[in-house]
This record gives sequence, C-alpha cells and structure tokens, in this order.
Amino acid sequence: MKQKEAQGEGNILFVGIDLGTSRSSISASNNTREWIESYVGWPKDFISLQVVGKPVLFGAEALKNRLSLDLCRPLEHGVIKEGIEKSEEAVKEIIKHLIELAKPQPEQKIYAVVGVPADTLKVNKLAIRKAVSEFAHSLMVVSEPFAVAYGMNLLNNSLVIDIGAGTTDLCIMHGTIPSEEDQKTILTAGDYIDEQLYSYLTEKYPNSKFNKNMVRQFKEQYSFVREISEDIRVEIPVDGKPVMHDIKNEVKRACESILPALVETTTEMIARFDPEFQVKIKNNIVLAGGGSLIRGLREYLQNALKEYGPCNVTCVEDPLFSGSNGALKLAQDMPAKYWEPL
Amino acid sequence: MLFMIPKKRELKVRKAILRGVYEDNLRIIGKNPVILAGRAPVFFKKMFLFFSITLLSILVNGNYLKLPLFPEKQTTASLITQRPSSLPAEKPVKPSDYAAFLGGKEMPLSRMFGLEVKTIMIDPGHGGSDSGTTGTMGTKEKDITLDIAKKLRERLRKYGRYNILITREQDTTLPLNQRVELARSSRADLFISIHLNYLPSKPINIIETYYFGPSADDKTLRLAEQENAGSHYGLSDFKEIIGKIGETLKLQESKEFAASIQKNLFLNSKKQNANVYNFGVKRAPFIVLLGVDVPAVLAEVSCLSNREEEIELNTESHRENIARYLEAGILDYLNKGEVSYEAKRSSGRR
Repeated sequence: MKQKEAQGEGNILFVGIDLGTSRSSISASNNTREWIESYVGWPKDFISLQVVGKPVLFGAEALKNRLSLDLCRPLEHGVIKEGIEKSEEAVKEIIKHLIELAKPQPEQKIYAVVGVPADTLKVNKLAIRKAVSEFAHSLMVVSEPFAVAYGMNLLNNSLVIDIGAGTTDLCIMHGTIPSEEDQKTILTAGDYIDEQLYSYLTEKYPNSKFNKNMVRQFKEQYSFVREISEDIRVEIPVDGKPVMHDIKNEVKRACESILPALVETTTEMIARFDPEFQVKIKNNIVLAGGGSLIRGLREYLQNALKEYGPCNVTCVEDPLFSGSNGALKLAQDMPAKYWEPL
Repeated sequence: MLFMIPKKRELKVRKAILRGVYEDNLRIIGKNPVILAGRAPVFFKKMFLFFSITLLSILVNGNYLKLPLFPEKQTTASLITQRPSSLPAEKPVKPSDYAAFLGGKEMPLSRMFGLEVKTIMIDPGHGGSDSGTTGTMGTKEKDITLDIAKKLRERLRKYGRYNILITREQDTTLPLNQRVELARSSRADLFISIHLNYLPSKPINIIETYYFGPSADDKTLRLAEQENAGSHYGLSDFKEIIGKIGETLKLQESKEFAASIQKNLFLNSKKQNANVYNFGVKRAPFIVLLGVDVPAVLAEVSCLSNREEEIELNTESHRENIARYLEAGILDYLNKGEVSYEAKRSSGRR
C-alpha cells in the first residue's frame, strides 16, 4: 500500500463511487466517506424554487421536500430508467454532488472508479461514463459486487451476494475479472420487499393511511426473517388519528418473499462452478448491500445451504460503504499507466 | 481498512484483475485492447452455409415434401415428432406435433384483419447464452433488443387498450419454438420481433423489416440462418412449416404491418441520422415469423457493425427513439393510415 500511496501523491484524488439504486456513496483517498440517498429533485416551478431555495436537491432533503419537487430516482430496477434525459441528468447531478462531498482541492486531479449495478453495466455503461466524465479526469466503471469483492480481498473462490434496492447481484470470483457467466442478477431485492410489504399492509389495514416512503422506513427499521422475540408496532394514522399497528407478520412475510429466488440462484451458481472448488466457495459467501442488514438472513442462508455441505456466510461490516471502499481500493491499486485521460 | 501483507501469488492475481478491468473499460469506450475475443467461430459459418444451401434447394424446387434431402437427418428429425397427434390430418401430410400446433385452428378473420387487436407480443431477439451479434465495443444485440422491447412495451401500455406481452423479461435463453408457442398460447394478435443487423463488410447503417416468405436473396437467407439458429425445430418440421406459406391472408397482413413498421422506422431514423439506408420490406423464411399465426414481422432496427450507430445504441435516448418509431409503426398499422407516420411527440431532443 505504501508504494501505492506514494504514487497517489502527485496531487491526485482517488475516489471510489458506489452508484446504487437506493443509496450512493463515495470514498476518497483523503479519507472522506459520504453517502446520499439516490434521489434528485428539481423544483417544479418558480414558487417551489422560492420555497426550497436551491436549483437541485439530493437525498433526504429532496425526499423531505418532494411535494414541491420533480423527484427522480434514476436507477430504478438497476438500470437508468425511462424518462431518459431526466434520468441521465439525475445521474450526472448525483455524481457531481458526491464528488463535491469528497471535497477535492481545486487543482487536484480526480481519478474515479465507479461501481454500478450489474444490469446497468450492460446497457448503460456508456451513459454512466458520460455522466461521470465531466467531473473526473480519468475513470473506470466496474460492477458493484466485483468492487465489494475486491475491497474485501476476496479475489479467489468466493461468492459475493449484493442485495441492493433494485437488484440482487451475485458474483463469483475465481482469481480473474468475473465474466458474464460469473455474474447473475435477480430482480427481487429491497424495492420488491417494499412493494410486498405495502400490499400486505393495505390488505390488512385498508383504512389506515400510509405511503411507500413510510413502508420503506418500516422495512429499514424492522426487517427480519425467521423468528424474533420482540413485537413490531408502528404508528399509522387512521382518519387522521395516530393508531398503533402490529406489522410483525407482514414484515416477516415481505422479507421472506425474496428468499426462494435467492437460495435457488445461489445454489445454482455454486453448482455450476468447478466441483473441486465448490467447497471453498461455500466457505466464502459474503452478503453485501442494504439487504445484508435483514436480521436472520445470514443464518437462514447458511441453514438453507447446509444440505449441500458445510458452508460459511458472512456479512460485510459496513454495507453502505463496502462498495465504494472497494472501488477506492481498486482505484488506488490501479497502475498509473492504466489511467487514461478522458 | 485492514490489509494483510499480500503474498506473491495474490499480487499476481490482483495484477491480472486490474488489467482485466482496464481492458474492459477500454472496450466500453471503443478502443480495442491488444487482445481481442475471436470472431464468430468457423463452426457457425459452416452451419450458415449448410442451412442456406438446404433452404435454397428447398425453395427453388418448390416441392418441399418429396425432396430426398439428407436422409439421415430426416430420420432423426422425424424421431422427435413421432409422438401421436390427436388431430386428424386432412391433407396427406405426415402427422406431427408441429402440424397440430401450426395448422390446428383457423384464425378468425376479424383478428387477422387487425379489427380487434388486443394482445401484442413483443419479442426481443436472442438472449441468455445466445448473444446475437456483438459490436466492436462489446455491445450485445440481446441487451439492446431487450431494452428496446421493454421501452416499447411501456409506450404501448400507456394506451390502455392493448395487452402487451413480451417473450422474455430478462437475459434468458429462449429457443425460437418456445417464442412461437408463447405467442400462440397467449393468443397474441400481433407479433413483432426486434433484432439488430450486422454487416461485416460494409460500415453503413441500414434498416429493414421482414415478413415471412420465400426469398431468393442469398444475403437474406444467410441472415435468416443466423436468426433461425437455435430454433429447436427438426428438419421435417421445418419442411411443414415452409408448407404453410399458402396462408396468404396472414401474409398480406404481415406485409402491410412490415411496411408500416419500416416506413416509420426509416423516415424517423433518417431525421436523426442522414446516413441511414432504407433496405425496405423483405420476405425471408424466419421461423419465428412463420410459426406465429397472426401478422408477424421481424424488424432489424439498427446496425451494430456501424461504429457510430453502436455508440448511439448505448445511449438511452436513441433506444427510446427506436421504441417510439416502432410504437408509431404499430399504431399506424392498427389504424390503417389514420395516424400519420410522424412519430408522436417527436421532439427535437436527442
């Protein structure tokens, strides 16, 4: 690392960016770590511009003022979604904002590695490149699970499961850059849990008023699979009056709705791998992304895979920054000759 | 972050990975790294040649059933289809599964005339292990077609009048016969398959639309070969399929549909890019078009061998534009010319 840092001293700021569906984070070589929710909002009209006082808002702030904003979540379902110019613009704004948050010195060159959902990489890679290129001097785009794996030094015989909001990306590492066959994307992830939870709750409490945003907050606070002892009760207004609701069963059902596809894909990917190395991979499964915070998920997966032999599933320590930290490490390790000016 | 002191072997691995990332990114921007994946294997070329000769001889002779073509192939193919068929064959045609599935029910005329089009099936070409063609920057046909198909679906859904179906939702391998079966079982009234062209010899960008029919054009046959690969139909089934050309009503409708798609696609694309060539509406024996009993076309919406076009195809707006033109073409056909060919909301933005 020493020699790498020396290389980075030539007034270059290395940044690793994790461009996610729900949250985006940045890690920079000047030790800043920042994240925002991947929402971009533009004031709807002149009046809202007066109210919010800014031409563009991000993350939590944008969500808070969403009634007066044109809100955009550019990477829904893991790809730049329709709406196009607006979404591309939003990606650009997010990148710009993140790089500003990293506080580069004015004369510093920015070398960026951007991790994006695997599906985005397929069809939108050029768009992503364009969006970033205005704000960086040189950049590379990689898939998110790969960035996580690289950051954790899991270069050989490991399986990274990145449960994000739009997609769950699985990536097998076997000592080389993962090819298309080594990566798989399933569309059941955080947003899917939100949808399920929302429909279960509307079904059970038809008179209570809640919205997608509240449901997401419930999920982030209480999500679990298997069993927990505590009760889950939340306050939801009924006819304007706050009433306590028991949502434990609904949260459990919603969170467990992603499990079948997850287990199936995991076993399928392991089974396809060279049999001599399957045991090694099973002992090296890593859960990343916001979904790794679901309580009991690690144990569940370990249990479900038990019948295929002993296995070991771990969670990343810091799901929010594991992607951007990995991307940063990738940026710092990259030999200088590979960085081409844009 | 904590780092263990890396072993020598690990350093080597890491170096290789970093190089891989670098090469991958070079490919994105179109600069070819020194090492490049090989072109289409010779095996495929041989397959093309074999099939195009077969097809040509079948079509030129016109007598499809009695040709003693490749007898050993025939036995294997008929073995697949020896399962008993419950439907009585009216004509002296060998009973087979596909005969039942292709010639079983007659299509109601109203549907064939597009009077009551409710269900439109969109078929993004290729998928999964079959990537279709690949551009120099590594753009894969299967990804682009899927994205355009999804965009087209969203656009058509907005009308609320149609039930829009898609043959594949994700990057999955789907043989042609399953696509055909899907269109039939879901009672689709209109079928459009989206593909990208690839002209290795010429760097031009062309647009063309196909409907089913015999073609004497060598190039077209080769293309048909390319798109028919992986159909999972046996040779004997294929002969019967060709025998269905007689269904002229569907043919006429398909032709009209193809003309409408081609007109909209070309005229609108021309506005964006003056260097587009109109290769017009063509007939070709694409299996995916024949198996479907309703008006069906295959649109080659763009050309991946053209570099500028490949870059364009990587932008969201261009794919959205293509979806918009296809939408206009479909509506144009459904309204029989009531709507002008100008794509709706055709904005100057790009």
